[in-house]
Amino acid sequence: MISIDQNTLLALMPPVGLALLAMLIVLVDIARPERDRLVTSVAVSGLLVLMALVVIIGPFKVFDGHVGLLSGPVEVFGGAYVRDSLTALLDLLMLSIALLTVLFGPDYLRPRNLPVAEFGAMLCFAITGALLIGGARDLLLLFIALELLVLPGYMLAGYAKRDGLSTEGAIKYFLLGSFSSAIFLFGLVLVFGYTGTTNIAEVAQAIEATVSAAGFGALAPALLMGLALLTTGAAFKIAAVPFHYWTPDAYQGSPTPVTGYLSVGPKVAAFALILRLFVEALGGLKEDWTPLVVVLAAATMTLGNLVALTQDNIKRMLAYSSIAHTGYIMVGLAAFGAAPDGSPLESDGLFGVLFYSVAYSFMNLGAFACVAALQRRPGVTSQLTTFSGLGRRAPGLALLMTLFLLSLIGIPPLAGFWAKVGVILPALQIGGWLTILAVLTMLNAAVAAFYYLRVIIYMYMRDAPEGAPPVNVGKTTQAGLAVAGIATLFIWVPPFTTILIEVSEEAARALL
Amino acid sequence: MSGLPLLTLVIFVPLAGALLIAFLPRQRLTWIRWVAFATALLTWVVSLVLLASFDHAATGFQFVETADWVPAFGIQYKLGVDGISLALVVLTTTLTAISILASFGPITDRVKEYMIAFLVLEVGMLGVFLALDTFLFYIFWEIVLVPMYLIIGIWGGANRIYATIKFVLYTLVGSLLMLVAILGIAFSYQLQTGSWAGAFDYESLRGFGFDPTLQFFAFAGFFLAFAIKVPMFPFHTWLPDAHVEAPTAGSVILAGVLLKLGAYGLLRFNLPLFPDAAQQWAPLIIVLSLIAIVYGAIVALVQTDLKKLVAYSSVSHMGFVTLGIFIFQEQGMHGAVLQMVAHGIITGALFLLVGVIYERTHDRTIAKMGGLAGTVPVYSAMLGFFVFASVALPGLAGFVGEFLVLVGAFDYWPVAAATAALAMMLAAAYLLWMYQRVVFGDLSDFLKGLGHHLTDMTRLEIATIAPLVVLTVAFGLFPGLLLELWQSSVTDILTSVAPATVTGIP
Repeated sequence: MISIDQNTLLALMPPVGLALLAMLIVLVDIARPERDRLVTSVAVSGLLVLMALVVIIGPFKVFDGHVGLLSGPVEVFGGAYVRDSLTALLDLLMLSIALLTVLFGPDYLRPRNLPVAEFGAMLCFAITGALLIGGARDLLLLFIALELLVLPGYMLAGYAKRDGLSTEGAIKYFLLGSFSSAIFLFGLVLVFGYTGTTNIAEVAQAIEATVSAAGFGALAPALLMGLALLTTGAAFKIAAVPFHYWTPDAYQGSPTPVTGYLSVGPKVAAFALILRLFVEALGGLKEDWTPLVVVLAAATMTLGNLVALTQDNIKRMLAYSSIAHTGYIMVGLAAFGAAPDGSPLESDGLFGVLFYSVAYSFMNLGAFACVAALQRRPGVTSQLTTFSGLGRRAPGLALLMTLFLLSLIGIPPLAGFWAKVGVILPALQIGGWLTILAVLTMLNAAVAAFYYLRVIIYMYMRDAPEGAPPVNVGKTTQAGLAVAGIATLFIWVPPFTTILIEVSEEAARALL
Repeated sequence: MSGLPLLTLVIFVPLAGALLIAFLPRQRLTWIRWVAFATALLTWVVSLVLLASFDHAATGFQFVETADWVPAFGIQYKLGVDGISLALVVLTTTLTAISILASFGPITDRVKEYMIAFLVLEVGMLGVFLALDTFLFYIFWEIVLVPMYLIIGIWGGANRIYATIKFVLYTLVGSLLMLVAILGIAFSYQLQTGSWAGAFDYESLRGFGFDPTLQFFAFAGFFLAFAIKVPMFPFHTWLPDAHVEAPTAGSVILAGVLLKLGAYGLLRFNLPLFPDAAQQWAPLIIVLSLIAIVYGAIVALVQTDLKKLVAYSSVSHMGFVTLGIFIFQEQGMHGAVLQMVAHGIITGALFLLVGVIYERTHDRTIAKMGGLAGTVPVYSAMLGFFVFASVALPGLAGFVGEFLVLVGAFDYWPVAAATAALAMMLAAAYLLWMYQRVVFGDLSDFLKGLGHHLTDMTRLEIATIAPLVVLTVAFGLFPGLLLELWQSSVTDILTSVAPATVTGIP
């Protein structure tokens, strides 16, 4: 009995710890108001401790041996929450995203007189939701965790409350977000009504039993309806075309560090939700949702890139580019869906999703952080012209931005390149339509190169406007940029690559 | 000597130099320049050591280095060199050193970044020639792109941004599809052997015998990337823009080495990996090569800009290379490889010389020139020498390559040889006509207006050109030196693609 309790405790420690950290941040702010630096260091050290905890608790499987106190998956709360390799990997990733955002935030917020403590606290609450999604094995927990993730996100989007654009973006984000949550919830209800359970494993069994007994046609219309609604809700959350309309406005209006977070945190968490819901619970129906994913992926990446071509505002441009990246990640999902049941290609596709999410998080956050660093002084716009002559004005920042942009294009040996290989490799192996999707991915990468390179042109090949203010990158931003830069640049170094690949593969297998 | 990982050394010496320069203070222009040149020189020396210790008699790859990189997918860090790649490696190190020396004068802005970009470019180019793992090859292939993009875009001419974007997008479309092909054949290999081990290893892929349909498409994937780089006829439009806008040294490397990357790729990958598809595609490629040869020459005839003229002449000359490769015939292939080296040296020198005159006049319009012979005799003599070399005057390097290709082409299809020979006459026309307009006659008013600014070549400029003169003569008189170097490699490639045509030593 005691050992079970201990495991329960260990399994729940990261999300509970993060919620406690969020409260601690609020308390510190009450006890010592206006001490931004103190708040930041509390948040950073808290997040680092939690990341260390996740590694210590595990379960990770590296080089054929288990790392961490847990040696295998642990279910708690009667199977509603599970800590397996996937949970552990997603926890680490989400905590890294939180850490980077906490590092990037203060330098942007302080000059604008926006409170730093509430930013940190809300972020930690949101990430708590993300951690719960990562381990959710119950439809209800999944929904609650999702709401916990997105509600602070709405507040963060409207964080600059005196800024019209920020408020407008937040309202749009909120309205469409809650709308899609409602759709999603309705889908969950229908699935529950059909299967009579909210437990994901039991849902999977019930569906599998029906499909294997009488085929897809035997499924009740209500369940099909539920599937459609769930797909719509999830597509909203990952900002897949045609459910992407909220993205550009929400991204452009939000304070830049928040935009960086929004482009990564909720998206990765939503993919975690897709892994838990569509892969684990509705995996039995994958032949039915795969064609949809293929079409959505193709439309998402193509439309995202084509619209990004015409943007002159870097935040909008990166918003559309993030839509395109959603499309690339969905290629991995499509590969999972199109793979024959039980073949290793299934886990290869999921591996692609996870690996891409990791790479994308660091490079995209890094790119947004460069924009935020440039905008540190209030009043600096996010037009492309802001980048004019940055190569001279701030060589270090320009170099980092170049690094992130090249990685987003997918130039080897940077992170984005390996990520693209990770998603197109299984797609090519499956062949057929997926080959076309892989080729389309690569052509899209070439289109995307055009607008990413435009930024580099502004930085290095145009002169700075007269009287351009000096760029002064804050200390915490520098630290965060260093982390993101190292992750983007050195992902190919053998032991690191191998560990990352093994951990993601193990996490992918945990689902099947 | 055998204990040293020479190939890794030759690739990463320039990277070490680039890192060193990164830590030098920005204002110390002299230090930066000389460190860059010393690095390039050191790389050159290493490549010569390689050349000296290369065993001419042996077949297959030498100095092979292998290390696991991503074992889960069988991706390796694998390098090796054969006669063809060795010749191109030495060409690269030579031209890079010369280009860096030639940049001392013209590049005065952001020297530090320029030198770093140039050395990183060298890393990429050498890596492409030395990689024996398809994945590693792709990585180096893409690494080449970024510094060249910056070199054209930052230090280029007035219309540089358009040119550099065009260059990158063309190349990227090709190379991304090549990545798809690389992954596709790796997967096919994995499917048939049941293991990822060796799926990216050139030596195990070679002779594996892929399924004909896969060969057809994979060939197309690789071919597009290489054809854009060469550039072959319908894909050549980025080249004149890139050349005209690039700084002089950029043009030298672009013409001297970058175009060879494409031709090298065709030889190294398309022929041995997909022999059946190569046979299927060959007629189309031969026709495209002939179009490139004639079309490049005709367009060069009407150019008003010196640099554009040389650029279009490159299209024509590179047509000989692809023609020589795809007639699957021993003389032709020898000629193609020799033409790669010779074109690198001669066109590199022509771009250097165009750069010299541009430094003084800030203009490249042929119509504004005239009568240089009387004012700048050394320059005129040098230009004359390389114009004749480019026309393929017997006794100089350009002749042997084109002649061998013609011999091979005649054997294959006399019409092809006749067409190509016609283009050689056109080459004489456009080059000599250009030379006449620029060098002979009275000094033009435009040049008179420059007064004492119109000086002859400086010692530094002569130092950059002189080695190329020596090489042009040496390879023209003793082409056997080179042919013997890559004899076994050429035989190897031909055996894999068209065994019947291999006859032995020509």
